[in-house]
Amino acid sequence: MLRRLILTRVLTSLGTLLLVSMFIFGAVELLPGDVARQIVGREASEQQLQIIRQQLGLDRPVVDRYLSWLGGALRLDFGNGIISKRPVIGIIAPRLRNTLILALAAFILYVPISLVFSLLSAGFRGRHIDALLSGVTLVTLSIPEFVMGTILLIIFASSLRWLPALSLIEDARNVGEALRALLMPALTLAIAMSAYAIRMLRDNLIEVLDSEYVLMATLKGLPRRNVLLQHALPNALGPALNVTALNLVYLIGGVVIVERIFSYPGLGSLLVDSISLRDAPLISAAALLVSATYILANLAADVGVLLLNPRLRTST
Amino acid sequence: MTAVPVPVAPIRSRRSFLRRRLPTTFVLGSIILLFHIVVAITGPLWSPYTFNKVGTGKPFENASTAHLFGTDGLGRDVFSRVVYGAPTVLILATTSTAIGVVLGSFIGLLSGYLGGWFDEVLMRIFDALISIPFLILALLIISAAGATAAGSPSLLIGVVAFIYTPRIARMARAVALDLVTRDFITAARARGDSAWSIVIREMLPNTTGTLLVEFAVRAGYAPILIGSLGFLGFGIRPPNPEWGLMISENRSAITTAPITVFGPVLVLASLVIGLNLFSDGLARLLGRSAQFGAQ
Amino acid sequence: MTSAFLHQAIPPRMGAASLLDVRNLTLDYRTAGGWLNVVNGVSFALEAGEAFGLVGESGCGKSTTAYALLGYRKPNSRLRTGSVYLAGEDLFALSVTELQRVRGSRVALVPQNPTTALSPGIRIGQQITETMRAHNIGTNDVARDARMLELLGRVWLPDPVRTAQKYPHQLSGGQQQRVVIALALACDPELIVLDEPTTGLDVTTQAQILALLSELRREQRMTMVYVTHNMGVVAAICDRVGVMYAGQLIEDAPADVLFRAPRHPYTRGLIDSVPGLQQPKRGRSIFMRGLLDRNALPNGCQFAPRCTFALESCFINPQRLEIIDDTHEVACERNSEIANLVAAQPPVEIVYTDAAGARTDAPLLTLENVSLGYGRGGLFANAQRLIVRDVTLEIRPGETYALVGESGSGKSTIARAIAGLNPLSGGAIQFGGVPLPSRVQGRSRETRRAIQLIFQNPDASLNPRQTVTQIIGRPLEMFFRLRGTELRERVASLLADVRLTPAYADRYPAQLSGGERQRVAIARALAAQPRLLLCDEILSALDASVQADILDLLRDLQARTGIAYLFISHDLAVVRALADRVGVLYRGVLCEAGQVEEVYTPPFHPYTEMLLSAVPEIGKTKLRTIVRSDASLSSSFNARGCPFADRCPRRISGVCETTPPPLRRVSETHALLCHIPLEELRNIVPDPIDTP
Repeated sequence: MLRRLILTRVLTSLGTLLLVSMFIFGAVELLPGDVARQIVGREASEQQLQIIRQQLGLDRPVVDRYLSWLGGALRLDFGNGIISKRPVIGIIAPRLRNTLILALAAFILYVPISLVFSLLSAGFRGRHIDALLSGVTLVTLSIPEFVMGTILLIIFASSLRWLPALSLIEDARNVGEALRALLMPALTLAIAMSAYAIRMLRDNLIEVLDSEYVLMATLKGLPRRNVLLQHALPNALGPALNVTALNLVYLIGGVVIVERIFSYPGLGSLLVDSISLRDAPLISAAALLVSATYILANLAADVGVLLLNPRLRTST
Repeated sequence: MTAVPVPVAPIRSRRSFLRRRLPTTFVLGSIILLFHIVVAITGPLWSPYTFNKVGTGKPFENASTAHLFGTDGLGRDVFSRVVYGAPTVLILATTSTAIGVVLGSFIGLLSGYLGGWFDEVLMRIFDALISIPFLILALLIISAAGATAAGSPSLLIGVVAFIYTPRIARMARAVALDLVTRDFITAARARGDSAWSIVIREMLPNTTGTLLVEFAVRAGYAPILIGSLGFLGFGIRPPNPEWGLMISENRSAITTAPITVFGPVLVLASLVIGLNLFSDGLARLLGRSAQFGAQ
Repeated sequence: MTSAFLHQAIPPRMGAASLLDVRNLTLDYRTAGGWLNVVNGVSFALEAGEAFGLVGESGCGKSTTAYALLGYRKPNSRLRTGSVYLAGEDLFALSVTELQRVRGSRVALVPQNPTTALSPGIRIGQQITETMRAHNIGTNDVARDARMLELLGRVWLPDPVRTAQKYPHQLSGGQQQRVVIALALACDPELIVLDEPTTGLDVTTQAQILALLSELRREQRMTMVYVTHNMGVVAAICDRVGVMYAGQLIEDAPADVLFRAPRHPYTRGLIDSVPGLQQPKRGRSIFMRGLLDRNALPNGCQFAPRCTFALESCFINPQRLEIIDDTHEVACERNSEIANLVAAQPPVEIVYTDAAGARTDAPLLTLENVSLGYGRGGLFANAQRLIVRDVTLEIRPGETYALVGESGSGKSTIARAIAGLNPLSGGAIQFGGVPLPSRVQGRSRETRRAIQLIFQNPDASLNPRQTVTQIIGRPLEMFFRLRGTELRERVASLLADVRLTPAYADRYPAQLSGGERQRVAIARALAAQPRLLLCDEILSALDASVQADILDLLRDLQARTGIAYLFISHDLAVVRALADRVGVLYRGVLCEAGQVEEVYTPPFHPYTEMLLSAVPEIGKTKLRTIVRSDASLSSSFNARGCPFADRCPRRISGVCETTPPPLRRVSETHALLCHIPLEELRNIVPDPIDTP
């Protein structure tokens, strides 16, 4: 039963990824601008353009091109960039790595931030701390990431000069410098995601605390500590993971803006740059990979939720 | 364990609902929103300069009595530009969200009620759209629309509506799925009511509260979305005084004249805070909880 | 499983001081509109070894009182005054640590819903041993495990070792409830509080639990407070009974005295409202009328607005419990007068013309060999997965046909199929002599109008966003094209038919009580002027007095309009009060069918016998039940033999499991499916079987 559910979930993700690839390919197809002319230059003749088009296979029907692009994508071969003329994968790979590192760092920061504040809120529900935290999270989620990032930049880079203004992680000479380059962008993402998550986590925790079985445990005469640790908390993990899954979009989608602000050499900033430059192969590859990351992260979280569900773990 | 059941409270008439004290967040949010609306409407009447008057002062001047938010790179008064930019944000945010909510809820309710392959296919497509992080989707669409369309308000409205529709449809579908199991829907089916009649008469009135709150929450995020696009340079074309664009443009002066960045920042943040407080208050008023989250 | 004799009067331990002493307990709940009083001056005392039943209808405060016996009150509540003394200690004055030590070890709770009370992620055995550990029972883990297994065995759970390793969701409702009972026994408490522990369980499962509790009482001399709304259960298991109304304890007497000679008008009315198995149809109670209206409670006796004997003074003077004799207390100043008044009056007999004999009309509805499965019918029907198999029955115009069965019997599915919401997997349905299309969409407007469905849960069957007028008006609009004033007039007359005033027309469901909502649902069904009304457990969610009212209403309507009912229920007593003919369903097969008097007297189908024996009743002090085993969670459906074979105490091995039972005709109107010959069934007196 559990295995079947997980399998279904995985297949669904793959199906979604497939559909996403179609959308991305379609959108990039619609980009204005003649690719051939971009490569050869303005002065090219019609004949030259035709040759280039044939070379690039631009005259084949759409479906054909989509399928061969997809096939290439599966082999991680996205062709060559129009502007750079180098293999796309070579350009993207280090960027992808950097973005993944950033996402991971942000996640590592997110966990304690969201847990601590939601536990405080739920534990002291109805009291001043709860209202205060509620207000603070509301204000925080009202601040766009580009603003939050800018504020952090000013505080830590310009005023205090503790951290570098440009998060050029590739230039870091040791782990320490790398971490300092990572800190602000990761923190920005973590704060953004936490602001949304804290509210939901608090509600989930309260639901568990108010549940019948927690009451029953108390009425059995169990000490409060046991009630919380053995009856309440384990049942809060699944929903907490679910909340995380729901808010992943702030983590992974947010890289686009955050990388821009901090000049972090990741996939997000590459995407924005390549859109400005109209480099189709680069755009489609970057968009596809970011989306794939998002889908996979979601999949991981959902599978985690399934695994944590006691009914499924022990199905008859 | 019905555990210590709460006894039936005294019956109230509908009217007493309004006499109840309004939630603080609702009041606060409404005040802030009202303020923004008033500024948006009356701004041009009292703002010191127009938004595109160049050279009213030296470039990147700091805050002063003449220029509350300083001047930008072209010597334009930032405060005036912020004021002139207010209606744009408000109209863009509310219109696009409204379209998204209307389209999304109809599609979602119908899909949830009908079920079957229609529902399956539609939801697959929507799930795929939702799986593309919204900023990326927005960037793709805006660039695909071409150079002429780029920068026009209607494109932005379309993009935000396009981003919101599948998400709201999914939520509406969830509501529909829950309602469908209730006996009063079964009673309607047993009477022979048509699907359309059931959706409109029986289901829709039960979703208005949820949809209203959803509208408020999404409308609260829309300025962030629009601002982010403006910040990246994909929003409204200059010299339009769009706040995100302004923040981006003035970033170079952030150390010398920080107010030129923080002015628009504070105003944008205040609008979103107002919208979010309003949503939260509205939700409490209607006895629901506002889910702030872009899923 | 043994048959058990419930409720033998168990003498209290000699020389015992009151184990439990509740004094003037008064609790309020905080609501949006201020403090609402929920428990009002409740006082009673219990000796060790006594079983005290706390009875009342929903909202009377009995559950709140029960939880107070553990020193618990909801966070949004306050203890205005009063105390709960357990062996001399005031529970509400204890510190948190002290209270934690008392709970579970000296007083334990058996909650109403075991499914939500057990932690989903912890194994059963562990949930029991952790309580023991917390209260220092047992010297080490090994000893505790041994005791835990012993407890599981004591509550009749099969295979304790394996059960202890399971998680709660892997057990059935009845099994979960027994686990919770074992949990309560774990630390050998002095007092056990049971909060409606058999709610939601099938009748047969309930009988098992009651038998178990009775045995435990006998063996261990458990002191119990048993909270319930079911008078029959109280009669079966309790020594003394306290009746609560609107937060007050209004009568306190030994069980046999209470049922034989109740003194408070509410108690009398309540007992009257409960239909009995062997009694013919009866009329309404002469002691009470109307519904509890919490907005209109007078300063004096809370029951006065509904009391047919109330005088001016009753509305003004608050009633306190007065001692009538040694063991009997009543909170009614007129109780002796009323007793005399009633004795002087001749009994009011409401006779219903039993036109059962005169039914020679052509049948209105016939089901012939109808089989129903999950989802699509036709090609996708799978014999192994049918919910209803091969059912044949007919309903004649103006009569009430009751379909009786427990959960999983398929009775609701049949109703839905008749309503056109479930396609047939086999067989055919005829309505008015014409084949009935199996789906609503295929039916004519006339047909759709003529068959109406009413549901169990009044909260879910009315659209919360529509007014009563809109709800009742929709069928009027749809079938008769009524509009405007004509519509409103018709709505008013329908409301009158279900005994609601026109003032209800503009209310929303949220402003109505459960009984009122159900009446609106009935009015909505009647609006279409149907010939057949499908009632799917419509009384199950209602209090006894409200049930009685609505039963009366249904009888009245049928007498006036000649409408036919398909009445689905699991409550055999209610069925007895209303039906002309009965069909007994087990696992989708119609085991027995006939006139109601015929079915309720021997010869029985073994399942009918089991059902009847399992129903606890006032006056049935010896509840002998021959319930053998739980309806198992997932036993494969025996497609060939008798569906009841694995649970039947009279099964003939080798025959019943493999061959389908033959149809045996007892009379022209009465038949059943069984391998056992009729003579044998007629002569056998139900015998206790002692094998577990």
